[in-house]
Amino acid sequence: MLENYLPILIFIGIGLVVGGGMIAAGFLLGPHKPDSEKLTSYECGFDAFEDARMKFDVRYYLVAILFIIFDLEIAFLFPWAVVLRDIGMFGFLAMVMFLGILVIGFIYEWKKGALQWE
Amino acid sequence: MNFEIPNFMLAMPEIFVLGMACFILILDLFLSERSRVVTYLLTQATLVGAFLLSLGLYSSARELTFSDSFVLDPMASVLKLAVYAAVFMVLLYSRRYLRERGMFRGEFFVLGLFGVLGMMVMISAHSLLTIYMGLELLSLSMYAMVAMQRDSRVAAEAAMKYFILGAMASAMLLYGMSMIYGVTGSLELGEVSAAVAGQGSQLILIFGLVFLMVGVAFKLGAVPFHMWVPDVYHGASTAVTLYISTAPKLAAFAMLMRLLVDGLGALQPQWHDILLLLAILSLGIGNVVAIAQTNIKRMLAYSGISHVGFLLLGVLSGSPEGYAAGMFYAIVYVLMGLGGFGMVILMSRAGFEADQLEDYKGLNERSPWFALMMMFLMFSMAGVPPFIGFWAKLSVLQAVVDANMVWLAAVAVLFSVIGAFYYLRLIKLMYFDGPLELSPFRPSPDVALLFSVNALAVLLIGLFPSSLMAICRQAMGL
Amino acid sequence: MSFEQILFYLFSGVLVLSAGAVITVRNPVHAAMFLVLCFVTTSALWLLLEAEFLAITLVLVYVGAVMVLFLFVVMMLDINLARMREGFARYLPIGGIVAATAVGIMGLAVGRINFGLDVWPAPPARAADYSNTRELGEQLYTTYVYPFEIASVVLLVAIVAAIALTLRTRPGTRYQKIEEQVVVKKSDRLRVVQLESEGRK
Repeated sequence: MLENYLPILIFIGIGLVVGGGMIAAGFLLGPHKPDSEKLTSYECGFDAFEDARMKFDVRYYLVAILFIIFDLEIAFLFPWAVVLRDIGMFGFLAMVMFLGILVIGFIYEWKKGALQWE
Repeated sequence: MNFEIPNFMLAMPEIFVLGMACFILILDLFLSERSRVVTYLLTQATLVGAFLLSLGLYSSARELTFSDSFVLDPMASVLKLAVYAAVFMVLLYSRRYLRERGMFRGEFFVLGLFGVLGMMVMISAHSLLTIYMGLELLSLSMYAMVAMQRDSRVAAEAAMKYFILGAMASAMLLYGMSMIYGVTGSLELGEVSAAVAGQGSQLILIFGLVFLMVGVAFKLGAVPFHMWVPDVYHGASTAVTLYISTAPKLAAFAMLMRLLVDGLGALQPQWHDILLLLAILSLGIGNVVAIAQTNIKRMLAYSGISHVGFLLLGVLSGSPEGYAAGMFYAIVYVLMGLGGFGMVILMSRAGFEADQLEDYKGLNERSPWFALMMMFLMFSMAGVPPFIGFWAKLSVLQAVVDANMVWLAAVAVLFSVIGAFYYLRLIKLMYFDGPLELSPFRPSPDVALLFSVNALAVLLIGLFPSSLMAICRQAMGL
Repeated sequence: MSFEQILFYLFSGVLVLSAGAVITVRNPVHAAMFLVLCFVTTSALWLLLEAEFLAITLVLVYVGAVMVLFLFVVMMLDINLARMREGFARYLPIGGIVAATAVGIMGLAVGRINFGLDVWPAPPARAADYSNTRELGEQLYTTYVYPFEIASVVLLVAIVAAIALTLRTRPGTRYQKIEEQVVVKKSDRLRVVQLESEGRK
């Protein structure tokens, strides 16, 4: 089975060589004479006003978390789709139940306004 | 493919609770703030319905279904009934408390129900995977419940600690399970048990056992995995503390029994030693550190740790009598814990948490009846006859003595004598110190009634302990 | 040493080093990137164990979704880097001793003598057309249907918990009401007023 994945390994190797090689070549061949002005972050020619880090509305994370939950749910669908013919009605209904429970979660978040943007 | 359609009837209570929890979750969206009480009533009705269903399914037989990953035996039935009853009382106690603090929200009850479902799954689990899933369901609900009081910094801190430590403990448990699965080649506890018996005490099995024990000890809150207990009990709002300190202990006891007795019964000599260490440390540290506490929630948390030590004594004696004693202790502890934190809820009012020991000073002058009820509870926790706590301690000690460990019984008695100090101190504060405030004590009638019933139950069951003991013995097949 | 063993040691070496880097590098963004490297190498290890579905899921869900969120949080959050590292040196000795002891004991217990390939022989390698996903699917939706359904309940609780803990509706927020926008008619928005025309004076 593992022999199927040999191409991926080769690609990883090529990727490492190409990616690493480019950075190394740039580092070795390009001129670099850094000074303090060059090293500051560029903000339209002004001095940087403040730190890039700031307080962020927790809502953004909520959307991201909800995305991850449904992403995980999708992961369960792949093996199911592969064996759908073999597992019969029971396996089909098992997934219907699984999705049904998550649909309840979806109704909840929709109705609750978690998907609304202000 | 040889696959048997599972017998859904056996899991009817679980299915019912799940269905109702989903229904309540959706229904709550359509309720206005004024009719929120419907959510509460439906939640209570769900618990009653599940109680009746489990009662109807009670039989002395042991039945497996869902490809042997689900078991319904008398122990499962009894523990589930106790869980419903405990959570029912928790919600009764906390209704007014939640209202006064603006926490009377549908999510609280829905998460509570999902927690109950997690406990039911754990109690009826017959495979490593099911135990883990049930545990995660319960833990996730509890983390969210602790964090729900969003404006409170202590609650957020408690939730954070609980979540991080709980995730670590789950990881340990999972690692141990994976080791045991690797050696035995099965997740199902019956097959694990057969494989373990065939292989004897392999080093890898013991390795897995150690990690399992870390996870279980954390969930029970046994020393040295107890650090979260006082912080979480203290930081969470009292209603949530009431929830997490009572019913989940029953589920943790079931998890202990399923893993150690049903699954790794052949390793009894090994887990006996581990439990011995956990029990002695819990008794010692729980009782001694509780003396130094000035916050009653922290004090009760340490007292809970010492009670867990007692519970472990029953299990480690390794006999069905000992298991029955452990189960009896667990149920009694839940009853007393309900009373203990119920007392804090009773004393509290909007803007006043009543979680300092001083708040109880001179309660006798303000309300002799409640002082008396609290005295009952404290005596019971300390193990003074004829209260129920005494019989629980006695049955556990009897099992320990029967297992030829008289010294251990002596150690346990010694520590509970030390422990009696802080219970008696509270009684002294109530009866012999002057009150800090002179206003008459006017608790809300429903909580007052419930608390009185709770405290009187501690006395009454203590006078007639044989029926509850008989149920526990029957559950263990005696 | 076979080729697979060389790969195993290569990937686990990278895994251990990058896991160490996660907790020691100064910049949290770099730490998150090292965590991504951890996941990728773990998935390579899983692939060596012929668990291809898990390997792919790990990359898909953890690297693809969880780490993106993580990086997002780490980049945006207002964290004080200096304060975060406070106490690291103080707790390093005791933490190091505990960790070293635990690793030592674990190494002794599951090391070569007790858990080596001569004690627990490796299962034979699978044929090229073996599908781990199929194998998993056949079990997951039938034999393990009970834990499978509980998994969906856990996800549901995660949804409820995430919303209950983070959602805060402010009063007076205005939302777009798409259905109202769609059904709107000209007469709702437009008022035609007849004005007397006035001649130039």
